[in-house]
Amino acid sequence: MKLIKQISLILFVTAMFAAFDIAVYNIFTKRYINDTSPEMQAKSIELSKYLPFDENSGIVKTDSAAKLSGDLPVIDGAAALYPVFSGFVNAVYPSDSVSFDGENFAPDSALQFHNTRGAYAAIVDGTADVVICAAPSKEQLEYAEQNGVELELVPIGREAFVFIVNKNNPVDDLTVEQVRGIYSGDIEKWSEVGGENRYIDALQRNEGSGSQTAMLSFMDGIPMKRSLTGLFGSAIGFSFRYYVEGIVENSDVKMLSLNGVYPSPENIANESYPLVSSFYAVYRKGDDNPNITALIDWILSDEGQGIVEKSGYAPLK
Amino acid sequence: MKDKVFYGILTAVCVVGVISVIALVAYTYALYSDCSIISYIANRG
Repeated sequence: MKLIKQISLILFVTAMFAAFDIAVYNIFTKRYINDTSPEMQAKSIELSKYLPFDENSGIVKTDSAAKLSGDLPVIDGAAALYPVFSGFVNAVYPSDSVSFDGENFAPDSALQFHNTRGAYAAIVDGTADVVICAAPSKEQLEYAEQNGVELELVPIGREAFVFIVNKNNPVDDLTVEQVRGIYSGDIEKWSEVGGENRYIDALQRNEGSGSQTAMLSFMDGIPMKRSLTGLFGSAIGFSFRYYVEGIVENSDVKMLSLNGVYPSPENIANESYPLVSSFYAVYRKGDDNPNITALIDWILSDEGQGIVEKSGYAPLK
Repeated sequence: MKDKVFYGILTAVCVVGVISVIALVAYTYALYSDCSIISYIANRG
């Protein structure tokens, strides 16, 4: 009898630990599994898929007559816009101006990639000459000011700022006010906006990322908070349309309509989608490299705008 | 089963159990650090 009790206790303790581990895995661990490539996880984009001067590249290839030579501006920018500025480099830079070692660009390469935060730091520090990004954050502007750098922002295209949920979420549309209510914490459950009786997990991005800066602008000073109860509910997040639809292409998430308008290319172009914002070519004011003006003039030409459009973004006109 | 053997087995089970919990929490934190918003939403019901 004593032996049975002893074995039962050992089995019970073993089962308790196993049950706890399985519960933690199912409730928390599983939701963080990122099945994209290591390159995608590390850099938010697969650089090797969108390289210039590569016949297998996914960029838009335009053979422009307007080739740059001499002091080539080092170009850097956001992950969501990397296929666009890689397309610019492919069109107007000499092919020997870019070197990539399979993971990173060489220090002397005219094409660099440090994503939005790194690119804004690079333009201020002088390691990049033109960056292609969404508007800078307050902190990024302050960093420039502290370093005596004035940034010139030239709009070169437009893109929709979108909200995304799991494809199984029955909610397809929110109003702008409902989104603000969710992120301010006034709306805590999906049932308050026509969905299931589940808590809302309102996700944010890293400070200084292009989409977080766009979100802060969208909230217009209203403080954002993430409820702990949301950890047990269903999530909402934000990004830029083409990053979701054209780069990550995860079929388990869907974009929401805003005020009844879906963020399609047509609705961005005609500006019926409520959150359409510009992205920019940014350079240091007073930089006297004539190739910077030449590059930006070319980006604004029909050829450059064609690359913007064919890459999946809305051109300026 | 002698008490000494029983307590030895029980202690070993507890040690392995605690180590598994710590390892799982560490693994979860590592995944959390690298997870994108899109993957996180895709993994949620």
